[in-house]
Amino acid sequence: MILTENLNKSYKNTIVLSIEKLEIKKGECFGLIGNNGAGKTTFFSLLLDLIKATSGSITSNQIEVAKSEEWKSFTSAFIDDSFLIGYLTPEEYFYFVGELRGIDKASVDSFLETYKDFFNDEILNQNKYLRDFSKGNQKKAGLIATFLGSPSVIILDEPFANLDPTTQIRLKQLIKKETESREITLLISSHDLNHVTEVCNRIVLLERGSVIMDKETTSKTLQELEVYFSA
Amino acid sequence: MRAPQLEAKLAIKIIMGLVVLYFGGVLLAAGIIIYPVISKTVPDEDAISVINSFLVLIFIFEIIIRYFLQQLPVTEIKSFLLLSIPKKRIIKNVLLRSLISIYNVIPILFYLPISIIMYFDDYALEQTVAWWVSVTAFSLCLNFIAFLANKNNKVFASFVVIVISLYTCELYFDTELLRASGYFFDAVLAEPLCSVFPLIFLIVLYYSTFKFLKNNLNLEGALGTKKQIARAGRYDFLDVFGSSALFLKNDLRLIVRNIRPRNIVLMSFLFLFYGLIFYTTQEAQSQEMLVFASIFVSGGFLLTYGNYVPAWDSEYYAFLMAQNLSYKKYLDSKFRLMAFAVMFSTILSLPYLYFGLDVYLMILSGAFFNVGLGTWITLYGGMLNKQPLKLNVKAKAFENTQAFSGAQFLMVLPKMALPVLLYTIPARFLNYGYDINHTAGIASLALSGILGLVFKKQILNLMVKLFAKDKHAMLKAFTQK
Repeated sequence: MILTENLNKSYKNTIVLSIEKLEIKKGECFGLIGNNGAGKTTFFSLLLDLIKATSGSITSNQIEVAKSEEWKSFTSAFIDDSFLIGYLTPEEYFYFVGELRGIDKASVDSFLETYKDFFNDEILNQNKYLRDFSKGNQKKAGLIATFLGSPSVIILDEPFANLDPTTQIRLKQLIKKETESREITLLISSHDLNHVTEVCNRIVLLERGSVIMDKETTSKTLQELEVYFSA
Repeated sequence: MRAPQLEAKLAIKIIMGLVVLYFGGVLLAAGIIIYPVISKTVPDEDAISVINSFLVLIFIFEIIIRYFLQQLPVTEIKSFLLLSIPKKRIIKNVLLRSLISIYNVIPILFYLPISIIMYFDDYALEQTVAWWVSVTAFSLCLNFIAFLANKNNKVFASFVVIVISLYTCELYFDTELLRASGYFFDAVLAEPLCSVFPLIFLIVLYYSTFKFLKNNLNLEGALGTKKQIARAGRYDFLDVFGSSALFLKNDLRLIVRNIRPRNIVLMSFLFLFYGLIFYTTQEAQSQEMLVFASIFVSGGFLLTYGNYVPAWDSEYYAFLMAQNLSYKKYLDSKFRLMAFAVMFSTILSLPYLYFGLDVYLMILSGAFFNVGLGTWITLYGGMLNKQPLKLNVKAKAFENTQAFSGAQFLMVLPKMALPVLLYTIPARFLNYGYDINHTAGIASLALSGILGLVFKKQILNLMVKLFAKDKHAMLKAFTQK
């Protein structure tokens, strides 16, 4: 589904990302981990064509992301709070995203109905603009919006950060349910080793821009990672 | 490492510095020449009492500017609250620092030269000092009034109502209340001790601001941002505009729900009055100057809000660029927004018919230009602007110039000069022996706008290409913090 080849990104002679080859298969739940500055967000930004690669390419579903815009129709992402529009209410935001993906209001409403538990009555009908919500609740809205319109590639940058414990558990259940119900290629980055090993079936570890571990998740993965990070 | 464009920032700072110097210079020059000029043009009256009668207008203008643009540096206190510094000292610091604001150089640059010239024009030292102290005290009072008014919308609303009603009384009932306010400053000259009154007023205001801040110095009071109650679902009427309605709705919400764009749009209404300066003195103006004014009358929105399209969307630009959105629809909605604003201003400018049909036809042809070409020139200029904007905070003084690059500055030229040329070339060359062919001029101006509308599709396609090409540079600039 997503093929990365000879990808390099550097700022003024400092290499921040360098991936020779990385292939993410269709339907894979792909977990990206690594300390700050490892290049996780850089990789996602390149994947969304938000920044230009110094060299190399990423192809998503046979479309080179830097050359064509067509990948946008099957891709959605939540990177940070700049993916929200602060002066909209959550409902307006969902309708806006829905309309961009060709979904009418009524369908958005019934879509939102299915995520009622996840919202925990804190998102809808609050008469508040997104900028006035807490970080955690903002994130809830942003995460759910990525599922609108059933995109086949979903990119989530640190989805568990800022969420309360209940919502973290619900998010894990949600991700499992979504990936089981249809074929989604899901890319997640996280600092929470527990969560990421629990939901992802493949883990890639980045350090200073390079892939230093790439494994199918097994029962031992969490332990191995803990050993790596405590060293 | 991730903050390039240092050179560009430096260049912008230099330009900004030059702009500040320019305005400072203009103010200083005005301060120096106003007294001698008035002495010459109105020899029968005391120059200073003429100036005094105008002071109230300057103060009104000043408070409007301060109300919309000035902000006490309260947000910076947040980090001090937890340190062991007495609250009183923090507040004192804020209030005194607010005096070192760009708005408070007016007394020095403008009033000081006037009083020095007064001194050389045979006024006694104590008279000139008293006069300067009084006007300065008043100007500083406005500093605090603007802040207090900002925290309470009713204060400003009642102020506006009072000024408008006084002005109307002045026009229709021949009262002299506004003009009479100048008598106070005349009195200061007659009896310098009177200057204690504005000083007392200033001290009272200082302490009430102090008290206000002391009672509200917490995260929910003066420091917090007010949480608005959201009102949804009132923008569906825009659905008639089809596919661009989606973005138009957001643009309207952006303007209504954020402090900075709201203030800028309110200020763009002031441009409607710009014509008054020129049309009331028609005989003394060249036709070209009148065209210039007409462009301003209908184009206020383009010159204020339009300059920062698409920077208004900078807070969530990465989101937009990752969405499956059509650049064409996006840019088309920006075009429509600006076109509507021009049409709206043109309707509001109907009272200019009072100055004759010729004047209004000029405004109308200027509006055609603004809709057909001005919109696109503005949009192109806005795309050159590579500074992110924070939506829900006020603009700092001269911050607008930060979002104003040299390249963008060049875009102002075609916006201003092009319509004048479009008018003047046919008007001066197709004159059939007359001095000027006004009809040919406005016809040409209107025609240029109509051509712009005829070729809208082509222009839009071109803009889409430029916009797509610029995507990464724009993202880089807008996501820099």
